[in-house]
Formats: sequence, structure tokens, C-alpha cells
Amino acid sequence: MYLHITEPSRKISSKIIRIWQMTNTIGHTAVLIILGVLLYLSSVYQWAGWIDTALYILVGLMVVSAIFSIFIEPSFLQKSWRYEIDEEFVQLKHGRFNQYHTLIPMEKVEYVTTDQGPFLRRHDLYNVKIGTTTSSHTIPAIYKDEALALRSQIAVFAKVKDTDSEREEEE
Amino acid sequence: MMTQPKRYHPAWLLFELYSFIKNTFFFILFLFVLRAGTNSGWILWAKYAFIFFAVWTLIHIVLKWFVQTYQITNQSIILREGVFVKNQRTVPFERIQNNQTSTNFLHRMLGLTSLSLETGTSDAQASVKFTVLSNDEAQQILTAVNHQNTAETEETEEKMEETAYNRTLYFRSTKKDTLKAAFTSLSFLAIFPILAAVYFQIDDFFSLESSAENIFFYFADHLWMLIPLFITAMILSVAIGYVQTVIKYGNYEISADDQRIYIQKGVLSTSSFSIPKKKVQAITIHQSLIKRMLNMAEVKLVSAGKMGDGKQETNSLYPFMAKKEAYRLTNILLPNYQIEENMKRLPRKVLLLKLISPYFGTLIVGAGLFIFQREWIWITGIVFLLGIASRVLDYLFTSYLRHGDFIQTRKGGFSNETFLTRKERVQQIEVRHSWLQRKFNVATLEFSNRSKPVYVSQLADVPKEDVSDFYRWFKQKS
Repeated sequence: MYLHITEPSRKISSKIIRIWQMTNTIGHTAVLIILGVLLYLSSVYQWAGWIDTALYILVGLMVVSAIFSIFIEPSFLQKSWRYEIDEEFVQLKHGRFNQYHTLIPMEKVEYVTTDQGPFLRRHDLYNVKIGTTTSSHTIPAIYKDEALALRSQIAVFAKVKDTDSEREEEE
Repeated sequence: MMTQPKRYHPAWLLFELYSFIKNTFFFILFLFVLRAGTNSGWILWAKYAFIFFAVWTLIHIVLKWFVQTYQITNQSIILREGVFVKNQRTVPFERIQNNQTSTNFLHRMLGLTSLSLETGTSDAQASVKFTVLSNDEAQQILTAVNHQNTAETEETEEKMEETAYNRTLYFRSTKKDTLKAAFTSLSFLAIFPILAAVYFQIDDFFSLESSAENIFFYFADHLWMLIPLFITAMILSVAIGYVQTVIKYGNYEISADDQRIYIQKGVLSTSSFSIPKKKVQAITIHQSLIKRMLNMAEVKLVSAGKMGDGKQETNSLYPFMAKKEAYRLTNILLPNYQIEENMKRLPRKVLLLKLISPYFGTLIVGAGLFIFQREWIWITGIVFLLGIASRVLDYLFTSYLRHGDFIQTRKGGFSNETFLTRKERVQQIEVRHSWLQRKFNVATLEFSNRSKPVYVSQLADVPKEDVSDFYRWFKQKS
């Protein structure tokens, strides 16, 4: 452990690896198709030379990024994701090369939402989104029961703490 | 206190009309002055369209005035508006983060003012704006808002009266202050471009034939002419600078009672700012190079609500106050904010880390120029040098300190900014470390405070022990 802090311990579903691979494949393919169309148009209509160069560079970057975000990133990300929610804090951790730890006091939580796209729905998974006044954070891929329980749990904790925060503001 | 729904002051119509004319000034100028004689083709159509639009807008303004009202209740202010689609907004007083008034010249002539109440929510309706109010109406609203914030503390009736109106004046700018401000803000330098232009005009006039080669000799020969010109210009510029400063920072006043801080300023057009002490999210201290040399500091109060538009910002304790005085005043106004001078610097090895981290900016500029403008490739060198300079400055001036419930950070180079906030004001923290940072045993620490826009303080490359301590400190309940 690099930092001497108590790290969160709960993991997210491993099914998210396949889902991320799939969505990233779709996304990258779409971008590559668009670039391909542009390249075709460029050769047909004789666009300026630098456009071609720029497009080829973009294609190159996209291929590298595709390899990374389809074959490497998803499993690392899933393995490194941890979260923990108790009465006082929401604690999140993710990332391997660049490691991120986020700590949100429960009384600063403004809203909690759950959402799922078609891929998540097939596996009965949810994303839980936690918003504060300054930003929002998403915990990906949590099983339905757990996600809904989490949502109401955060809501209850945040509600309970709300009166506290007002008292605190008065100092 | 509970009032009936009330329409805005009739002068509202005048102000709306004024702003309509101001916004469409160029259309009017173009269509009805520059093209006054042309009545053919699209110009004619444009004229019809404009007249239609203008008539419609005027009718709409009048209708709007009839339907929009405000109402003050015990806990909130209720705004109703909408000609076709009715809309009602209820703004609870306790959600108001700060309030500001601004009185421009037109307001002043008519004995009016404008007021905005900032709630600090993230949507478009975060502020309640009254563009035209009579002074009495504004006072009534402000009393309701301020009074409410006092009642919130659930104190007894007598005590409340004792504390709420116990307003003391802590600072009023004097002529000396304004003079100091005029020089510190370098407003007198604004004249130099004008001076140069005037000089070349005269030069043209006196020596129409003088060619490029003898400009220098001409300059030397006519030096005597420059002296009175220079002196006049200096006097003029100082005068202009002084007047500008008086208009902007004259009559600067800072006062406070037990609950709130009040700041007001300005001569011809005045503005004021008021914030409950308990809603101050943080304070910042700005020092530009010149202020640092003159030992001045500008202390600003950070509010979760919007704080004016650009130059109208009134959230700073006098920008040209001596540092010692500014600190003393801060301590009086916000007794639980203590500014510490001696802060912790980054360890020396971090300089090396900063210098060897990838230069993405340079890389991008270099690659871009290599592809598109190869003859300008030397610019990459400049970007690289700037990159190194900013990293060194960053290393030299970044410092931080955690004491008690406070966290204080300082960043900058030639000018610097110190940020001071309390633990319970921090909305969230993030710590992170990259592979390279791990090799140097450091990490990045980031915390966010409410403000508009959100204030994110970032401290890069802090020793990992300090980062761990910070994380544990934040996790520990105060």
C-alpha cells in the first residue's frame, strides 16, 4: 500500500469487463468509420494535403487507444475499482497506473441516481451516480439489489446528516 | 412579516426599454440612419421585420410588467412571472448565499437600485435578480433576508435584536488609500499608448519630409519639445488614473455585525456585497508582484453563490490594503480564520520530478508545427523554455499548511494566491498518484470548495506521508 490510509474494500462486478470491451469496441469502431469516410471524401474531392496527414495521425492514435481501451484497460480498471459507503463517507478508489482515491463526506452528498444502459440491463447491473455540489461520481456495475439498497442507504445517510450540516454551519 | 404580491417599480419599464434600445442599437443605426433613404429590396423587409419585432417586444415588456410580482413571506421570497406560461419560484432565505446591490448612474438619478440574491445552485436560475427597485423596497427585502438568517440560529428574541443590528464600521478608504490604489493599480500608465500616438501625430505634422533615417536625429533635436509634453501627459494620466480609481474604489467601506459582513464601494455607480459569516466558504489572499513589493494584500471572501460579473466584484476586503491591516481585519471579521505565514515547502527532489515529467504541451506544439508550419518550428523551443520556467516557479512558490481544522495552500509565481478553508467547508477530496510520482514518494492532493465556478485546489507532488495525513485528517470527524 502506497498511502497509509484505510482503503475501500467492496468490488464491482467482473462482468463489466466484457461490457466495457464491447462499448469501447463500438465507440472506437464508430470513430474509425467516420475517419475512414473523411479519408475517402478527402481523396475524392482532393482536400488539402494537411488534412490527410492529420486524419492518418488521428487513425493511428485511435488504433493505439483502441488496443489500450479494449484489451488492456477494462480488466485493470475493474480489478482496481473499490468502493465503500458508510454513515459518514463515500470512499472510492480506482486505477492502477494512475491511482485515484476520492473521499466524500455523506453530508455533502446532494443526490444519488442509478442508471443502466442496454448492456448493463442484460446483466442486471446498475451504475450508481453520487453527486455533490461540486461534482459527480459514478460507481460502475453493481448488481441490482445491491445498487438499489445502496441508493436508499445513501439517501438515508445523507438525509440524516443534513440536519447536522446545518447545525455545523451555524458554528 | 408577510407582504402581498407586489409588482416591480414602474421604472422597470424604462430600464427594459433602455436595454432593448441598447441591444438593438446597431440595427437601428444601420436600418434607420445609415440606410434611411433606402427603401428597396431586403432593406425594406428588414425595416418591416424590425418594426414588427420592436412593437412586439414593447408589448411584451408591458405585459411582463403586469404579471410579474414578488412576495416576501416569513421564510422565503416568492416570484411569479410569465405572460403565457405561468411560472412561480420560491426561494427560501436560508438558501441565499450572498446578496449584492449595484446602483448605476441611471438608478442613482431616479433614486433606485438593483439587487441580486445568490443561491449558489447550479442551474440557470441560481440568482434572483431585481433590476429595478426603489431604495425602500431593496431595504425591505434585505431586512427580511438578513433577519431570517439571524432567526435561523434559534436565539431568543431579545438576544436577536441585540446582535442583529449591532453593525460596526471597520474600514473606510481615505484619500490616501485611493491615491495609493491609483498608483498600485498602475492606472496612470494607461496614458502611455495615447502619449505615443500623440507624439507621432505631432511628428508627422512638424516634419512631413523627414525620412526613416533621421527620425532618431529628429528625436534628439526635439527632446526639449518632449519634456513639457511628457510632463503634461504625466499630470493628465495621474489625474485620469486617480479619477478612475475614485469611481471604482472610492468610498470603500467594510462593516459587519455578528451575523454578516457588508462591503460597499464606488462613487458615481455604487455596489455592495453582503454575506453571512457562516456562509463564507473560504478566503483567498492575492498578491501581485507590485503588491508584494509594497507589502499589500487583497483578501477575498469566497461565497457559494455568484459574486458579481467581472469588474463588479465586491467580495474583496479593500484590494490595496497593507498586508498587516488586511490580516488583522480578517481576524476581526472571521475570528475563526487564522492566516499563517510560515507554510511548508515541497521537498527539493520534487523539482527534479517536475522537470522530468513529460512535456505534453511542448510535444503537441512541436508536432503541430512540424506538420503544418515547419519554418516556425523554433516556437517549440520557446514553449519548452516557458514550460521549464513555469515548473521551476511552481516548485518555488507552492506551499501548504494544515493546522487544526484549516487547510491553507499557496500557489503562484510572480503573483501568488493563498487559499484558506476549513475542513467542514471542503466538499470532497481526491488524492492520486502516477507511476512516476510513486518513484519519488509523492502524490497529488485535490480538494473542492463550493463557489461559482467550483473552486478546486490542487497540490501536486506532495510527500506521500503528508497526503496520507491529509486524507486521514479529512476522514476524522471534527
